[in-house]
Amino acid sequence: MSTETVTFNLNDRDITVPKGTTVMEAAHKHDVYIPHFCWHPGLSIAGVCRFCLVKVDNRPKLEIACNLQATPGMKVSTLLPEVKEAHKWALEFHLVNHPLDCPICDQAGECKLQDFYMEVGKYKSEMDRPKVLKPKALDVGSDLVLDTERCILCDRCVRFEQEVTKTGALGIFNRGDRAVVGTYPDKKIEHNYQDNLVDICPVGAFTSRDFRFKQRVWFLKDQPAVCPGCSTGCHVKVYAKPQVRTYFRVKPQESEVNGHWMCDVGRKTYKHLNQDQRLRFAVAEDGKGGRKRVSVAEAIASLAVQLRGVSASDIALLVSPQYTCEEYDALFSFFVKKLGVSKVFQWREPTESLDAFDGLLYRGDHNPNTLGLSEALAKVGLAKEVKNGFDDLARSGAKVVVALAPEIEFQFPSLPAQLQKLSELAFVSVWATAGSAYNVKGLRHLVPLKGFAEKKGTFRNFQGKVGELSKPFPAAVDEAKDVVEVVTALAEVWAHA
Amino acid sequence: MAEQKPKIILQTEGLPDQHSLKTYVEKVNGYTAVRKVLGGMSREQVIEEVKQAGLRGRGGAGFLTGLKWSFVPKDITGPKYLICNNDESEPGTFKDRYLCITNPHQVIEGMVIAAYAIGANKGYIYTRWEYQEEIGYLENAIKEAYAAGLLGKNLFGSGFDFDLDHYTGAGAYICGEETGLISSLEGKKGQPKVKPPFPAVSGYLGRPTIVNNTETLANVPWIINNGAKAFRQFGTEKSPGTKLFSISGALNKPGVYEVPLGYPFASLLNIEAGGMQAGRTLKALIPGGASAPVLTPAECEGLTMDFEAMAQRNTMLGSGAVMVIDDRQSLAELLKVTIEFFAHESCGQCTPCREGTGWLNNIMDGIMERSAKPDNIERLRTVARNMGGKTICALSDACAMPVMSYVQKFSGELQAYLAAGSGGHSK
Amino acid sequence: MATGIIKVAPPPEDKNLFQLAYGYASTIFSGMWKTLTIFVNQITGREKTNTLEWPEQPATYSDRFKGKHFLTRRDDGQVRCTACFLCATACPAECIHIVAGQHPTNEIEKFPIRFEIDILRCVFCGFCEEACPVDAIRLGPEYAMAGAAGDNWVYTKDYLADRGQLHGGVVSVKDENTKHFTVDHNPHGDDLLATDAPHMRHH
Repeated sequence: MSTETVTFNLNDRDITVPKGTTVMEAAHKHDVYIPHFCWHPGLSIAGVCRFCLVKVDNRPKLEIACNLQATPGMKVSTLLPEVKEAHKWALEFHLVNHPLDCPICDQAGECKLQDFYMEVGKYKSEMDRPKVLKPKALDVGSDLVLDTERCILCDRCVRFEQEVTKTGALGIFNRGDRAVVGTYPDKKIEHNYQDNLVDICPVGAFTSRDFRFKQRVWFLKDQPAVCPGCSTGCHVKVYAKPQVRTYFRVKPQESEVNGHWMCDVGRKTYKHLNQDQRLRFAVAEDGKGGRKRVSVAEAIASLAVQLRGVSASDIALLVSPQYTCEEYDALFSFFVKKLGVSKVFQWREPTESLDAFDGLLYRGDHNPNTLGLSEALAKVGLAKEVKNGFDDLARSGAKVVVALAPEIEFQFPSLPAQLQKLSELAFVSVWATAGSAYNVKGLRHLVPLKGFAEKKGTFRNFQGKVGELSKPFPAAVDEAKDVVEVVTALAEVWAHA
Repeated sequence: MAEQKPKIILQTEGLPDQHSLKTYVEKVNGYTAVRKVLGGMSREQVIEEVKQAGLRGRGGAGFLTGLKWSFVPKDITGPKYLICNNDESEPGTFKDRYLCITNPHQVIEGMVIAAYAIGANKGYIYTRWEYQEEIGYLENAIKEAYAAGLLGKNLFGSGFDFDLDHYTGAGAYICGEETGLISSLEGKKGQPKVKPPFPAVSGYLGRPTIVNNTETLANVPWIINNGAKAFRQFGTEKSPGTKLFSISGALNKPGVYEVPLGYPFASLLNIEAGGMQAGRTLKALIPGGASAPVLTPAECEGLTMDFEAMAQRNTMLGSGAVMVIDDRQSLAELLKVTIEFFAHESCGQCTPCREGTGWLNNIMDGIMERSAKPDNIERLRTVARNMGGKTICALSDACAMPVMSYVQKFSGELQAYLAAGSGGHSK
Repeated sequence: MATGIIKVAPPPEDKNLFQLAYGYASTIFSGMWKTLTIFVNQITGREKTNTLEWPEQPATYSDRFKGKHFLTRRDDGQVRCTACFLCATACPAECIHIVAGQHPTNEIEKFPIRFEIDILRCVFCGFCEEACPVDAIRLGPEYAMAGAAGDNWVYTKDYLADRGQLHGGVVSVKDENTKHFTVDHNPHGDDLLATDAPHMRHH
């Protein structure tokens, strides 16, 4: 079936697009920037900000690009002086009642009003009258702060509530310049997608309570990653200030997997990466029944000693499906292929409901790489023998257990109990990012690992699509290694002992 | 004695029980046009007749009615709607309310014919909430029509069904804009919709919809009965037919008068309206409602009441609300009231209008408080100039155009209000 | 005779030992005489020295001198700073560290919980003072900042806003009504050089 196309001229460039595409969509795809506020590729057309004005052929009035369908031979310009003058005044009108909140507004540095102010160039405002005042710093959701004075009434949040989450919790009340955005009386926004409102709000009207006042965004660096919160594997950007080794937030990145959005659960997946939550150094037995801090190399060496002391059938692996495919391949190629270990168990949350799905993005399998783990196991011929659960592990009679702990703890309510159970085994080496492993005194062999944003690798989401971790941050904890590095070092020690 | 004026719209005016069905049918050949239409005319013929007559919208825009009807797609299935825009909110306009009290049945008959022409089986009359008395007359007329079989199923055995409901607004000027009206009718906030798509293609509930002014629809039966050529006997070539003018001010006989388009303003003022009250002189004229640019007395020389003459003087005939401003009126106060109206009524959707009307109001407050500087008056013009032409509906232009005309023609009056010592002088 | 060559000094004549010794001795002696006369003149008070006997005599600098930082206050005594981080961003030495927090009242909304300047890193460039949009930080006239190795070289918010030498604090001159500005004001004009900010004098 052929899709009809239309060719039109945009800023002296001929562009061919499918029939029915608007000029704004065409410009977005072909990297021509038309300034706008209310248009968003994931929402319906509103046409209320009147900023994306363009000159079409010889029509006397300027038209808005977001609602203008491309017709063959149409000539569109965004660069004519008339268009630029229109943009200047469109910005002036937006700023007329906007409060001078930049010093205290979190959006500074990523605010569309600021960006256009610099671009469009109407630097001297002609407004010298008192501005309209509206309610500020309102609590409208568990992670939202609403400042109605900063709102430019672009309507994106209202449309998001109506079209994406279908909850309709926001509306615009009153008329004219008294119009305010808000929730209905006594109602708050209570779903799992609140922070998307913060993302789409072009100004600082909706801000995240979690991120409020923590950091100025121009100090942050972001890298692409894949959210490790569930098996959907939304593509995200992780924001950190590397000079202080601190992570601040996670935002979605547009992709086929998640569209333009991500859920609020995934937004919390930066917290466990910060130093106060991490396992910061390796720990090994001190020979007197207790444990002491050691270097990672020493911990690996002592693990090798333990492994030598038993046969392959006495060794078991307890693996969480939260690691990358590459890590699994390295792990199994040493333990299963080289050492001949056959007892491999999955570290899963017993109370999980795998079929749960909230209708948009968040799935009941709270692990990013379940599929990757089964594939890695299948590659070494173990798929059938994998058992889930700690009871199976206890029954297996293994004397040396190597456990790769789940990285994301807040979705694992059973974790403390599980760690306690592990500590009752004869010898267990827990490799983890989370500091809670250290808090269990009975765990006497620990290796600190890197978090998802700190290593390279791939996840396979619930559909088998590959999500890549390609640009890691330097680890927040000096001693941390990823599983590939640990296994490689272990193999080295093994080969030379 | 004035020559007998043609009565196309207010045919029953002055007759006993002027609003009743009985009077309409017996005295002025009521409901014969619809019988003629349903008795054998095709849709295209009806549209063609109205097109030939050159009937232009009487609500303010002056768009050719027949042309508008022809935009409705013909070959699609599913419901279509005809809406009578009786939300007469343009300040100074009170002609539709007079029509509703005087001759409501002509409106209903016009609606049936129009609905037939566009293929609609459902119609609404949308009246503003403030017109409680008029709503009573309309609802009564609808009831009479249903009782007499003039509304409902299978009208005159032709197989054409038409149901008519009355719907009341809730006090917003913006609901007089056709897509604002449609939004209100759909139960949403009365905010205009982005065009395209146009209502004729996708309007009420996404279906093809035509919205016509009350007075426009009231013209239709006469045109069908007497023909397009007869209609063109009155008025001018580009503005044929008659129009209701609601003339107000310090006059001896303010009121609603039906005169042919092209009628001289001087006659309307001095004959129909009885001239200005003793001791009063003309200071300014607002020819078409608050959104029409103001005219000086010099510009009123030789002025005729038709679309072209108004356009030539950079103003508009609009809804026919003629507001005669006499020498007692402070034009600064008049401008303030006008701007305040638009700032209050702006729906707030698009930024230039929302912020622009508010800003103009704010500046005007400063001027009225005598705390403004000279450049503030010029700023009124700058803001107004940049508000227009960029918005979803025409409210922004409706505010901007008069403001620019006041500043251009009567800035002296505004200067008097400036802060003392800043170039102004006290009044 | 080559042109453009200017003879500056006579060629050195051969000198005998006595002449050389005389040359050295005379210049040494005249230098020492100079020192001696100045010494005697100044010690007897006949000549005024340039030495400033600090700290008994205060050293004063111009109004624009950039010394120890201080944070200004609002009328009600709270720090003016709104933790906007512009000073921290402008600082070329990256020595300002701020932790922002939610203020209990909505009028102020944001304020610094912690405001620290690592004074050893500071280069006293004054960029922070220039960058601040609300006149919250200024470099004052205090220049006596020597201390010992174990001293605290990180100035905290309390020290910056409230130390004894500030005599109760300095009120910011920034017009609190930031929602109202006149079009005539030219922020890039001559205002930059003039200042009517109140100063404090050491002692």
